[in-house]
Amino acid sequence: MDRDFRKLIGRKVVLFDGGMGSMLIAAGLKEGEAPERWILTESEQVMGIHTAYVEAGAEVIQTNTFGANRIKLSSSRSGSSLDVAEVNLKGVELARRALEAAGHVDRFVAGEIGPTGQFFPPVGTLTAGEVRNAFREQARVLGHGGVDLFLVETMYDLREGLEALRAVREVSDKPVVVEFTFEKKPKGYFTLMGVTPRQVVEALLAEGADAVGANCSISSGEMVDLVFEFRSLTEAPILFQPNAGNPVMEHGIAIYKQRPEEFAGDIWKMVEAGANAVGGCCGTTPRFISEIHERLTHG
Amino acid sequence: MDEFLKSCAQSIIDGDGDVAETLAKQAVDDGAPLIDVIEKGFAAGIREVGRLWGEGEMFLPELVMGAEAMKRAMAILEPSIAGSGGLKEAAGRVVIGTIEGDIHDIGKTLVATMLSANGFEITDLGADVPAGRFVDEAEEKRADCIAISALLTTTMNGQKKVIEELENRSIRGQVKVMVGGAPCNDEWAKEIGADGYAGDAVAAVALARSLVD
Repeated sequence: MDRDFRKLIGRKVVLFDGGMGSMLIAAGLKEGEAPERWILTESEQVMGIHTAYVEAGAEVIQTNTFGANRIKLSSSRSGSSLDVAEVNLKGVELARRALEAAGHVDRFVAGEIGPTGQFFPPVGTLTAGEVRNAFREQARVLGHGGVDLFLVETMYDLREGLEALRAVREVSDKPVVVEFTFEKKPKGYFTLMGVTPRQVVEALLAEGADAVGANCSISSGEMVDLVFEFRSLTEAPILFQPNAGNPVMEHGIAIYKQRPEEFAGDIWKMVEAGANAVGGCCGTTPRFISEIHERLTHG
Repeated sequence: MDEFLKSCAQSIIDGDGDVAETLAKQAVDDGAPLIDVIEKGFAAGIREVGRLWGEGEMFLPELVMGAEAMKRAMAILEPSIAGSGGLKEAAGRVVIGTIEGDIHDIGKTLVATMLSANGFEITDLGADVPAGRFVDEAEEKRADCIAISALLTTTMNGQKKVIEELENRSIRGQVKVMVGGAPCNDEWAKEIGADGYAGDAVAAVALARSLVD
């Protein structure tokens, strides 16, 4: 495989992996426990999930570092004792080891960066400097750990997404993909803060993102039209990772009822709509990724 | 007067706290009927904000700014109403928080802000709150209602623990319990024996009203 992610995504549809958090919960992650803690305490479990995704055909696997920035970690009791450098470095190592274990060292490790969970005024008291510092610290460690690309995901505030992108750019020349999370409203797709697909495309690409896209919040069926919208706005690479439908609660456990075949069918529609990279988010499993892999390979 | 009430409502819709405060002061200085100023002016504004948010015409920042403007107006008006002898009772006392193990407090804060803007007396315990603390505070504040947010499927069982704790202390009958958060729904509320579920901040206000009535 071409080791240059920028070339790869320009040439073919790239398959990313699926959900991590929902897999960890299924494996026994406790109530309120920071998922990143498992990088240190249950490293075999985390590596096992990475390996399962590689074997399912994922060409890019995402480190379990979604909440591993200083601001997010320090806001939970379970995460506040974790060392930012240690957890990010080890997170990359587990993903890399999974590629080796599965015999696919030519595939890619994406250093995952999620939101701080805090807000800028008027909603909260966050400052641009704090955010930039937190993301720079995380990105630097992910970079040192040897990620092949960065994946900034589940963003809802344009400023926070931009700060994350700028932070990565300050410390690395590696490719950066940025995904925002949209809901479908009567007047179109918007994030929690009211950010539109157009704003994301224009602002992020202008500041050097290699690809933009969307993940989480909505199901694969609801995301198809969003792909058309992104494609109409840019010729740059676009990436999409929907949820496996909307969770239904049964006896206190979230069940994602969508079947892998149905999900893969929607993903195929996204590819036809012009998506350059696809994968899954909450509720998706290696079965979903292997189903997509099948469709991408055999049509 | 109608024009004045419209300006009051508009200041909330615009999320302009400075204007809302100025109008509230003016109402007090002019001896305007303050209950009307609130109900037909500022509160009408916050209801419109809630409607626009529900329809996806407004987003989190606008909602928060509207609620903040409402708070500033109410801070001026409330003491004057109390002073005039026309004491306006709080709509109800609510203890609110996000359950233990869960640090998501956007939704919870939004509900707290909207309840407060609609005349409820709020005790906001923040996020990551142990079940026992909800009950301690509810007893201490003689709350009418406990509102518990859970954003994670891994933490929502904590909502049930709060209800169990109320039962253990034999005060379940004295306080209503409402639940909310992404993984919750009506069935979940029923399953754990809560009094109701609300899907957003606007629905939470309506639910709280119906529960404490």
